[in-house]
Amino acid sequence: MMGFALRNLKVFFRDKAAVFFSLLSTFIIIGLYALFLGDVWTSNYEGVPGIRYLMDSWIIAGLLTATSVTATMGAFGIMVEDRGKKVVKDFVVSPLQRRSMVGGYVLSAVTVGVVMSVVTVVLGEVYIVINGGDWLGASELCQVLGLILLSTLTNSAMVFFVVTFFSSTNAFATASTIIGTVIGFLTGIYLPIGSLPETVQWVVKLFPPSHAAALFRQVMMAEPMAEAFATAPAQTADAFREMMGVQLVFGSTEMPAWGSLLVLLATALLFYGLSVVVLSRKAR
Amino acid sequence: MTNAIEVTGLRKAYGSVQAVKGIDFYVERGKLFAFLGPNGAGKSTTIDILCTFLRPDAGTVRIGAYRLGEEDRQIRGMIGAVFQDGLLDPLLTVEENLRLRGGFYDLRGRALTQAVEDIMKQVGVSDLRRRPYGKLSGGQRRRCDIARALVHAPEILFLDEPTTGLDPQTRKSVWQTLHGIQREKGMTVFLTTHYMEEAAAADYVLVMDHGEIAAKGTPSQLKDAYARDKLILVCHDTARTAARLREKGLACTETADTLELPLASTLDALPIIQDLREEIRDFEVIRGTMDDAFLAIAGEAIRE
Repeated sequence: MMGFALRNLKVFFRDKAAVFFSLLSTFIIIGLYALFLGDVWTSNYEGVPGIRYLMDSWIIAGLLTATSVTATMGAFGIMVEDRGKKVVKDFVVSPLQRRSMVGGYVLSAVTVGVVMSVVTVVLGEVYIVINGGDWLGASELCQVLGLILLSTLTNSAMVFFVVTFFSSTNAFATASTIIGTVIGFLTGIYLPIGSLPETVQWVVKLFPPSHAAALFRQVMMAEPMAEAFATAPAQTADAFREMMGVQLVFGSTEMPAWGSLLVLLATALLFYGLSVVVLSRKAR
Repeated sequence: MTNAIEVTGLRKAYGSVQAVKGIDFYVERGKLFAFLGPNGAGKSTTIDILCTFLRPDAGTVRIGAYRLGEEDRQIRGMIGAVFQDGLLDPLLTVEENLRLRGGFYDLRGRALTQAVEDIMKQVGVSDLRRRPYGKLSGGQRRRCDIARALVHAPEILFLDEPTTGLDPQTRKSVWQTLHGIQREKGMTVFLTTHYMEEAAAADYVLVMDHGEIAAKGTPSQLKDAYARDKLILVCHDTARTAARLREKGLACTETADTLELPLASTLDALPIIQDLREEIRDFEVIRGTMDDAFLAIAGEAIRE
């Protein structure tokens, strides 16, 4: 399984185009934010101290969520391609066990997701500091790394489930472009959740990766929030949290951090379970 | 001595299309077995089943000492396959590809390194080890595919149209390598091909058509049974010679300025030539080939 996962990683990272396209949505978000979204949001909150630092942290947190979705999708592209080009034949005629094969695909996708997320967080931090913000503290950094692992696990499970239905590279490429674009809306990255209509807000809140986004924001924005709202009344800070999707609110109850963690964990289990069911029904 | 492959009552249908309609055959150990048939005859389906890639609808298959469907893992460990299209990873180097695939057969560490070194040398791709597979020429790639199929020293090698698309020189040198390895290891080779001269070099030939076995035998048996020898005459006066032949009760066909006579054996040409000595400018005696035999068995209609 490890050998097979290693093969997938090599195949993925040597394909420059695959790597680029798996980060496409990341580039889109950065582009949008750098060009105008960043200025729009900072000008909305003029006068708030350290608003740039705050908003930069917000966007990097969102970016992490999207990256782990699209990067795992890119890595799973190898599985679709192997199937489309009948390369699986070469694996099936060898004693390599089917579960090692599937395990190898999943392991490599999770690895790609984590690696790409770590790269994003490093570059993001550099960007924040250049813009006048502070480095993430050691304990926050550890929390972010833990969250990267968990959210990649969840996202890869969902992506894996989608991937099991594709056997043509073209169809999959189209699907991943669409998913890569929509993901920015569904997790409230292009637009903060508070600026969306009520029904769409519900969709966002029920979409598991949004919980990962909220957790990333809670950790990464803790310091800039404290700085920004030090002198402001508590309601202002709470309203901002809800508006920007730092705190997901269902009705009038706030979703606690452990609740979001639970949602992620449950989603991972559910979708890996479903994928196994689909794959074992297909195998005959 | 047990057979390498034994197939009884093998059936496979895709929906309402019967691809393989209950065939029986066996392959003797250490032999080169050629499996022929026009496109769509059920060859690929059969080879996919024997390679454990497809499950048959009915029938039993034994590969070596193992039963297909029950001991697939053991079977997979003792077979190697070269498919029509190369299935190695184009972005990985030859050595990386071979090491990865060798790992599938529980080869580890030094045993793996040794196996990969040996096979690269045998197949003649040692110089290409650091080149990405995707950058190689067709012939080089084919050699790598063969190296991949042989990396775990299988007892049975399946070759599915291994030389299609290669130039004649490359084809010849690929076959020299294959024959050499086969002789040395006593390996059984199961070959499908569209090149009849390749089939003619086999120990045993089986022709499949419409999902059934149309003919089987050694190449010379098949040639004797299905291919006709013929005599071609170039005459001074084609019409007159043709008339003389018909008088003697010999059937012949006129094509351009030549006459073609079917022969029961090449020796029968001698008295005819002697007799017509004065009337002919030139002659040619042609032994029946595998091509003729194949066309006689599978018919001349084109199938795609």
